[in-house]
Amino acid sequence: MPTSLLGPYTRTILVAAVLAVTLGFALSGARGEVHGGLLPFFEWLETTWLGYVGKTWGAAFATIQAFHLLGLALLGGAVLVAEGRILGVVLTEVEQGLIISRCNAVFNIAMATLVATGIFMACGVAVKIYYLPVYWYKMLALGAGAGFHYLVRQPLVERAPGEVNPWLLKLMAVVSIMVWFTVAATGRWIGFSG
Amino acid sequence: MNEREQGEAREKAKLVDEQLAALIACGSVAIFFVWYWIGQIQSVIELLRLAYG
Repeated sequence: MPTSLLGPYTRTILVAAVLAVTLGFALSGARGEVHGGLLPFFEWLETTWLGYVGKTWGAAFATIQAFHLLGLALLGGAVLVAEGRILGVVLTEVEQGLIISRCNAVFNIAMATLVATGIFMACGVAVKIYYLPVYWYKMLALGAGAGFHYLVRQPLVERAPGEVNPWLLKLMAVVSIMVWFTVAATGRWIGFSG
Repeated sequence: MNEREQGEAREKAKLVDEQLAALIACGSVAIFFVWYWIGQIQSVIELLRLAYG
């Protein structure tokens, strides 16, 4: 396994490296260069048939947006129930592992719905969102949330009860709510911008 | 150290690694979240001061 080259703290080193690269990218001039280079791609998105349908057929855009919002509600519900159970606030009479695995299944469906409908919606207003800073905040929050959920949180919550430090689990639950709250808030912010 | 003990040691190190990675990720997100929302609240307070004195 190539990751074993990094020794026993592979995941820790990778997480620290991703954070350092993200911070360096945000603070350096590379951000502006990459942003400028992406404009032709966003212009092309509007010329695709998805972009054409999104721009010209209001009913289709509204229907897909409704599914996007349902996906967001589903994802929010899955996060709140799973994290609420870890924090000992909801469904405390049901086994934690069962709730987490069921919520993760719902979370995956919600995530697939959000990505599929989100791509369609982005194609219709690609150049507009390209110039909206909040769109990039949302993408950053979404990337951070997905990375956190699948690469950091999931391996720990799937372990047997008592194996992981309970305070760390509670901290992860709070942070998970923070991240997905930010994704939802920035998503709605796009709707009120431009 | 026999094979079973080596396996247990590897599993223990993996758990420590996963927990440390989670702690770093959680700490970074929490610090960013607090910094970002403090900035937003300050910005709204300044705007309200400009509008209403």
